[in-house]
Amino acid sequence: MNIFKKYIPLALVFVFGIVTLASYYVPHRVSESYMEQISVWENIVFAFSLFLGAISLLYSHYNKIVKKVDGWGYSLFVYLGFIVMIVLAIVANGKISDEGQMTALGWGFNYIYNPLSATMFSVLAFYIISTAYRSFRIKSSSAFLLFIAGLILMLGNIPLGDLIWSKLLGWTHTSIASIKDWVMNVPSTAGKRGILIGVSVGAAVTSLKIIFGIERGYMGKD
Amino acid sequence: MKDTLNKILKIDRRWLFLLLSLSILIPIIKPIGISSSSISSSVQNMYDFIEKIPAGSTVFLGIDYDPSTAPELHPQATAVMKHLFKKNIKVVILTFIAGSGGLMDELVRTIPPQYGKVYGKDYVVLPYMPNFTAVLTQMASDMYAIYDKDINNKPLKDYEMMKNIKNYKDFAASIDITGTALLDGAWLPLVGDKYNLPILGGVTAISQVGLGPYLQKKQIKGLIGGMKGASEYERLTNEQAKATSGIDALNIAHLLVIFFIIFSNIILLVLKFI
Repeated sequence: MNIFKKYIPLALVFVFGIVTLASYYVPHRVSESYMEQISVWENIVFAFSLFLGAISLLYSHYNKIVKKVDGWGYSLFVYLGFIVMIVLAIVANGKISDEGQMTALGWGFNYIYNPLSATMFSVLAFYIISTAYRSFRIKSSSAFLLFIAGLILMLGNIPLGDLIWSKLLGWTHTSIASIKDWVMNVPSTAGKRGILIGVSVGAAVTSLKIIFGIERGYMGKD
Repeated sequence: MKDTLNKILKIDRRWLFLLLSLSILIPIIKPIGISSSSISSSVQNMYDFIEKIPAGSTVFLGIDYDPSTAPELHPQATAVMKHLFKKNIKVVILTFIAGSGGLMDELVRTIPPQYGKVYGKDYVVLPYMPNFTAVLTQMASDMYAIYDKDINNKPLKDYEMMKNIKNYKDFAASIDITGTALLDGAWLPLVGDKYNLPILGGVTAISQVGLGPYLQKKQIKGLIGGMKGASEYERLTNEQAKATSGIDALNIAHLLVIFFIIFSNIILLVLKFI
């Protein structure tokens, strides 16, 4: 059984990993054709993963409903939302509008999904205001620095910031927008570059570990 | 005094929520009209780049956001699409975000008719594809191998504007309006850097900070950041719309956050010394 569970997956990952990596750097008709084929296969596999994901989601919520775990009522809404949108999509033949007219799916999108999704995200604003008042404590020099950077970015992000700055500090002949640009372009970009280099090196190392079979987390525990 | 200050510090958070709601609602109902006095360099670069694209060229326009980031990104997409049509640039609209369908549909239902643009001649809409890596890689050689049909399930190749289009070489630029990492994580490495297609975009204000390195190196030719960026773009294109009206709410809400941080810290400071 080791052949099917261990050696074949490792061999597949190794072969496809090396060939795909090499194809990225080899501008040849054969490598381009290979990449095209792989892209098509990747799309097919991805479609299956979406299908599996949907089944897994429904199965996990089914268990919650059956076992009546805390908050199982919310799981009913998962089923409700899923079924409603699927039915609307079938009725509308997958089209959101047809010849300029909103279909049933378009209605579901505009009047169910759209407001619900926007509401979920806008709740963040309330958390931010609560955190700003109750938790943002300037107790150290680092916290003060964070506050100043945040203040510059927030003021720089709104036109009213320009107005306030020019009224109070116009005599400095600078603008909050130029200070914000400096913060974004110099310290922030420097930090971001450092993070990007670190993340990229980490990703390259992890990819090589997967290709060479050192990292086998994707194979599961069996 | 100390008790009063402590009470203020521990105020029921619902009062804060109420204040925030009012600070957003009132400017929406009764706009103050404070708009940007300056234009960010990245927004100006974006506008200038599109201005220089010759009429009749074709560009990609990615609508890669869902309703959660739509308040910031939908005005950006609207302003950019209007600008493209004004310049008589042909547009291939696509998305890798399943939840963007309705937003994309709204854009193509409302904007092209305002400029007398015809489907298939001036713009086409591609269907949603889930795996952006595969799609962007594939389109480098032959885009019809992956998008053989448009969103209406009709052969893409048959449309008039697609007659001379095969792959990235036939496009003038790609503009991706996104609430995800698709701009710097997909379009830039898989298309911009590899096939020299100019990449431009629009992102949320919070994502803008992370794109500094790409803007500095001119890997991203132009960028609209958040609602402020959208309002600046509306100003540049003389098409004042939702971003310009929404910026008032943003003004007051930001000031409220700043006020609360300063106010609560002053109380703490006073409490320390009494």
